[in-house]
Amino acid sequence: MEIFDFIGAKLADFLTYTGFACAEWGNWGMILVGAFFLWLAIKKDFEPLLLIPIGLGIILGNIPFKAVGLEIGLYEDNSVLNFFYSGVKNGWYPPLVFLGIGAMTDFSALIANPKLLLVGAAAQFGIFGAYMIALAMGFEPNQAAGIAIIGGADGPTAIFLSSKLSPNLMGAIAVCAYSYMALVPVIQPPLMRLLTTKKERLIRMKPAREVSQTEKIIFPIVGLLMTAFIVPSGLPLLGMLFFGNLLKESTKTTRLAKTAGSALNDTIVMLLGLTVGCSTQASEFLTWDTIKIFLLGALAFIIATASGVLFVKFFNLFLPKSKKINPLIGNAGVSAVPMAARISQNLGLEYDSKNYLLMHAMGPNVAGVIGSAVAAGVLLGFLS
Amino acid sequence: MMIHKRFLGILVGLVAVVAAFGQGARSFKISEVVVTNTDGLIDEYGERSGWIEIANTSWGTINIRSCYLTTNRAALNEELSVPERVKLMSLIPKGDSRTNLSAQQRIVFFADGRTNLGTLHTNFKLEEGKPNFIALFDGNGKTLLDSVTVPPLAENQAYARVHDTETDSYTWLVLDEDEVTPGSSNVGQGQVEDKVAEWKEKDPYGVAMSIIAMGVVFVALIALYVFFRLFGYAWSMLSKMSRVRAIRAVREQADKAAVMAKQGMETKGVDMKIYMALIAMALKEYEEDVHDVESNVLTYHTDEHSEWSAKGFTMREWPENLH
Repeated sequence: MEIFDFIGAKLADFLTYTGFACAEWGNWGMILVGAFFLWLAIKKDFEPLLLIPIGLGIILGNIPFKAVGLEIGLYEDNSVLNFFYSGVKNGWYPPLVFLGIGAMTDFSALIANPKLLLVGAAAQFGIFGAYMIALAMGFEPNQAAGIAIIGGADGPTAIFLSSKLSPNLMGAIAVCAYSYMALVPVIQPPLMRLLTTKKERLIRMKPAREVSQTEKIIFPIVGLLMTAFIVPSGLPLLGMLFFGNLLKESTKTTRLAKTAGSALNDTIVMLLGLTVGCSTQASEFLTWDTIKIFLLGALAFIIATASGVLFVKFFNLFLPKSKKINPLIGNAGVSAVPMAARISQNLGLEYDSKNYLLMHAMGPNVAGVIGSAVAAGVLLGFLS
Repeated sequence: MMIHKRFLGILVGLVAVVAAFGQGARSFKISEVVVTNTDGLIDEYGERSGWIEIANTSWGTINIRSCYLTTNRAALNEELSVPERVKLMSLIPKGDSRTNLSAQQRIVFFADGRTNLGTLHTNFKLEEGKPNFIALFDGNGKTLLDSVTVPPLAENQAYARVHDTETDSYTWLVLDEDEVTPGSSNVGQGQVEDKVAEWKEKDPYGVAMSIIAMGVVFVALIALYVFFRLFGYAWSMLSKMSRVRAIRAVREQADKAAVMAKQGMETKGVDMKIYMALIAMALKEYEEDVHDVESNVLTYHTDEHSEWSAKGFTMREWPENLH
């Protein structure tokens, strides 16, 4: 009989260790959020490469367990998840993602028509508009900066900056940034229609000139020198972005560029997405601050899109008729590459079936990547 | 040539290592000194003595082992040999993990003249009521890393290196007993460095931040715009000039060929149509710059499989009924 008592006691003890016994309502709520992300990714095809790791990460991070030093939790020293999380916490995943982005990006559109750089710069007003609103909502300047960078529409930059300035809000900021990036096709088109006239939407831009290989090689070198000398605090992101691009354009390191843009990038994106998802534990995530962050993120995207489009309209006032820019590419100044550019293309084709804006929109799109990294560097320099 | 390249590589590597080391050691600064300690910090044995705090001012981890501390000005005399100078100094021993200072970390040495008490004790004492010269030397016993002359201090007062936020420079100040901070950054005179608090106080609505940051973003991207605008212009001028030169050269060749064709037809009976076709082809190739690696031009390569390499030809039996 003693053995049965022992078994009974141990089973009862075991039951206290299960997730069912440890779960709170918040955990179930977050698991539902994770499932919703998976549904969006798999069923609706919204950014599956990001939302599947994040969605599963949310589920993984919200499976409760008894904290008895098993070294399994994301925040427990020596756990595997904690080891993976170090890339987010210490901010070395985002520069590696930037390396991959650099290795995959063709800056030709920008080099051929460098005035599009200014559109990328204008769209960064989304960041600072959101910064002002966040301050008005009662956030501290460092928290406001971490939240506002969502307006750059650049997940790695958002994670990099928030890990340095507001680590306690990083989970919410990262999930918010990636969610809105997935929702770019929903947020941007109505705004673009609202802010442009039919005549403006029909503007046809001249095909970009051909860019020589020498120019493509010089771009990452000069780009790095010019931006990093102005904002050294953006060095991790800018350095890796231009390094990746030089690997691609030098034509001598194709193998490295291919690895940086595919295998390495995919590995980092998987780990980044999973651990960011894991960091949204109910106790940390289900707060009023998270709701405010999501609201601010939406506003940041709206301001960024609007400022990009309006800047093009303003710019057109000074351009000769033959060189006018279609304001539908203004939205691409937010750096969600290449989604934002694709939206310009789709909307352009909707109004003129022969008006292909993709290559033109790629200019502000990649300029947005540089612009948001510079903006992050400025905020980091001032507030860290 | 290869040997030279390797030698150059090794040399560059060595220079980089030496430079990195030098830069690292130079980040050590004497940051706070208490000469008469009657009511402050106690050592591992519960005793009080004057102490010297050294800060790693860099953002990396550096080990201060093997460096030297001294209060003897004679150690500055460059005419003395290194062994003679080192005899005038107190060695910071190896083998103690506490000497490995992470970014911005500080370490305190007790100036009690009793090195037998451990790594954190020096072989000299600080003199009360007098100015004290203190110097920190690199491990080579020659390179002076930092030095300071501490004025006469009252009991438990400190002489500290404090950051002046207004001028963004460091100054030495006498701190009262309640401002002494052994092992941590020197606050002194209420000059607390808190960027976030400053922004919150001076820019509560974020307008200044927005103007400055947007300005920086625009300046950075305008700089790129100007460079690539000018570079693109110069590049297109250069390529236009080289194209004109090439066309001119081709035309000269074509003229010569036409003359040769005419002469050939007249003298040797060569078919003029062949000459003209060749000239036309040459002109087309030069003017259109036809080649295989041009961007935006799809070049079609014909199947290069032969009977020796094509998979179909290795089949022993051909299928009779293909649907």
